[in-house]
Amino acid sequence: MELRALLTTCAMAFRKRNIALSRGPTDSTTPQPEFSPSAPAPTQLFPGVRPSPIDGRPTTSTGTLSLDGILAGHAGLPLGHSIIIEESGTTDYAGALLRFYAAEGVVQGHKVHVVGMGEFWGRELPGIAEAKNDKRKEGKERAEKMKIAWRYEGLGQFESARGSPATSRTAAQVSTGASDEPSVFCHTFDLAKRLTLPVGTAINYIPLPRTLSGSPFPPILQNIQHQLSSTPAHTIHRLVMPSLLSPALYPPLASQPSSVLQFLHALRALLRRYPTRLTAVLTLPLTLYPRSAGLVRWIEILSDGVLELSPFPHDHMQSLSTLAGTTKDEERPQGMLAVHKLPVFHEKGGGGGGEDLGEDLAFTLSRRKFVIAKFSLPPLEGDREAQEEAAVAHSAGKMPSKKDLEF
Amino acid sequence: MSPSSRIPPLLQPCIRLPKDKSILLVTSTLGASANWLIIRFICDALSSTAKDGGLSDEINTLGEGGVNIILVSWMQEWEFWKQEARKGGGLDLDRAKREGRMAFVDGLRALFLPDGGEKNENIPVTKTTQTPPVRTLPGGIPARGPAAVPARTTPSASTIPARNLPEQTSASTKQGHYTLCSPDLAHLKSTIQTAVAHLTPTSTSTTTTKTLLILDTPSILLATTPTISPSSLTSLVLTLHTTLPHILVHSHADDPLLSLSTPPQPLELAHHNFVVKVAHMSRRVLSVRVLDTGVARDVSGVLRVTENKVGLGDLRVKGKEEEEDDGNGGREVLYYVKGDGSVRVFERGGGGDG
Repeated sequence: MELRALLTTCAMAFRKRNIALSRGPTDSTTPQPEFSPSAPAPTQLFPGVRPSPIDGRPTTSTGTLSLDGILAGHAGLPLGHSIIIEESGTTDYAGALLRFYAAEGVVQGHKVHVVGMGEFWGRELPGIAEAKNDKRKEGKERAEKMKIAWRYEGLGQFESARGSPATSRTAAQVSTGASDEPSVFCHTFDLAKRLTLPVGTAINYIPLPRTLSGSPFPPILQNIQHQLSSTPAHTIHRLVMPSLLSPALYPPLASQPSSVLQFLHALRALLRRYPTRLTAVLTLPLTLYPRSAGLVRWIEILSDGVLELSPFPHDHMQSLSTLAGTTKDEERPQGMLAVHKLPVFHEKGGGGGGEDLGEDLAFTLSRRKFVIAKFSLPPLEGDREAQEEAAVAHSAGKMPSKKDLEF
Repeated sequence: MSPSSRIPPLLQPCIRLPKDKSILLVTSTLGASANWLIIRFICDALSSTAKDGGLSDEINTLGEGGVNIILVSWMQEWEFWKQEARKGGGLDLDRAKREGRMAFVDGLRALFLPDGGEKNENIPVTKTTQTPPVRTLPGGIPARGPAAVPARTTPSASTIPARNLPEQTSASTKQGHYTLCSPDLAHLKSTIQTAVAHLTPTSTSTTTTKTLLILDTPSILLATTPTISPSSLTSLVLTLHTTLPHILVHSHADDPLLSLSTPPQPLELAHHNFVVKVAHMSRRVLSVRVLDTGVARDVSGVLRVTENKVGLGDLRVKGKEEEEDDGNGGREVLYYVKGDGSVRVFERGGGGDG
């Protein structure tokens, strides 16, 4: 009885916070069932936080289901940890990941801190996708998931790279026992929509000081530290740092090891000091700061997770698409994703949940989702030229040509 | 189950401390952390009282007392080490700390982050924004407590807020726990010496006790503070070595940090310099790296152990040992850290070993 009372009060408490949920940017006529605030399970006291299936530590979603899926089995970003996403080239796929992360935070009622960007950045956050169009797919997927015991499904989550909320639901069921209507851990966002920010200060924009003399970072830390100490203990914070050290945003002195590395070390200390309240995701332009540099390696050492995005050049993508023979469901990948380090997993030395680590991963960004899936070279069915060449070469050796074989 | 029995037999000789004074170097790379190895060192050292000498001619022939540990960590917090030691080694580090067998120096928590702030609500942001980068405050070691930076000018006892008091007392009750709040080497040295003082009085009981100092990633000091030169850091290691018989240095040895880029960056030079110097001083080098052939499901990485036989003046048995050992090239074993924290160490191709 007591429990039930607690749950209902919790649910009421969350209802207020989830303003952003029910208001789709366009007039979403049917409020989706997943987004209605539901009673959290006893272990899951705060919205958007759930225990890791591996060791029970609290995790939160990155806003991208398939990214959650590759985080060494924790099925989310463990609180108190950070990820740095590196990207080479001029594309901004990492920025999309960052936006999903921030949007998920806003939707879950977390406090989002954005460094170096103005309010326009927050206004461009993607809105929640309507589930209507996904339903068909979801149903199909669920049908094929029935083959696997649902209990194990939640543990791995590696195969759940298809971006439907169904998987997060099953995982939540695993972790919380049998709750009928678990709250959504990871939402699906639509890049073509805009998130309606709730009234008040959902996003804290931390400006970069335009100093030419010192490190720009200490005020940032103080700002976050102040926010952390002045909010109640159950508020989850997310730190978003787009394009770390990019000269467009940061003063030249920022890339001195003494300023950026001290900052990252302090950030690491801050994360560890608030192991249940803070996460951080940063992006780093690799073209400006190559991985072969010692500075970048230190940045990676000081971060808990390191992912590298290598988008395919445009023409390559075209050729892949013609050769790939992809089905309609499967979008062609837009680049490779390399996992260099994962939170928790690597600091322990590896082992436990990282079974998928060695796979080649590719990512595909579409309007609704950022999918990370195993990369496999498509079958060479369309490689007609090579076959014909081979046939010509063989026909010189008295092999029957293709036409001769056809009836 | 005694903690030492959790250490795989193949690993045992690698992490056993040499009989005489020694510096050991552990290197790791980005994908292959050496934290599990440091945990094994701690477990082996702390449990070495119950251990008999065994087949090796290493320590404990005289039944001497165990090995005390000072762990200085710039990368991980105490909680992490405690958890990992409990899971991987079945060891209660908190108890060891209470018993005066272990001291922890936290180089992460407050090194570049002014302490305090989480308990008090009323610290204005503007108060601290005026502080220049925290790094270069040679004398201005921010004291613990929220009012640190503005009140650096000798705060009288009355100005210290009352909320500061429990923290102070907890620091004193928390025996053996120290926090570095500046990258200054002199500060590091004095903190370590305080930690040594914490250890010795409680452990004078029976026989001579050794002390193992573990420096986890001291090279962060070089990377973050350009005023510290690698030679001053190595000379600090040597100075500490005069009083502490065993020092274990953990350092990252990734390619970008060791092989210099075309215009060599000061950061890379300093790191390279430091690692090479320590490697030359070391009696044994244990390096951990990922598999060259890619990621495997049942192998976490490769451990390479190189004994420095010609180091520090004992040139005597060089030829003989080279034959029976694997020469100066060292030997390599594979390891696999399991999800529960235990580790398996095995030869190449011998995956079945426990």
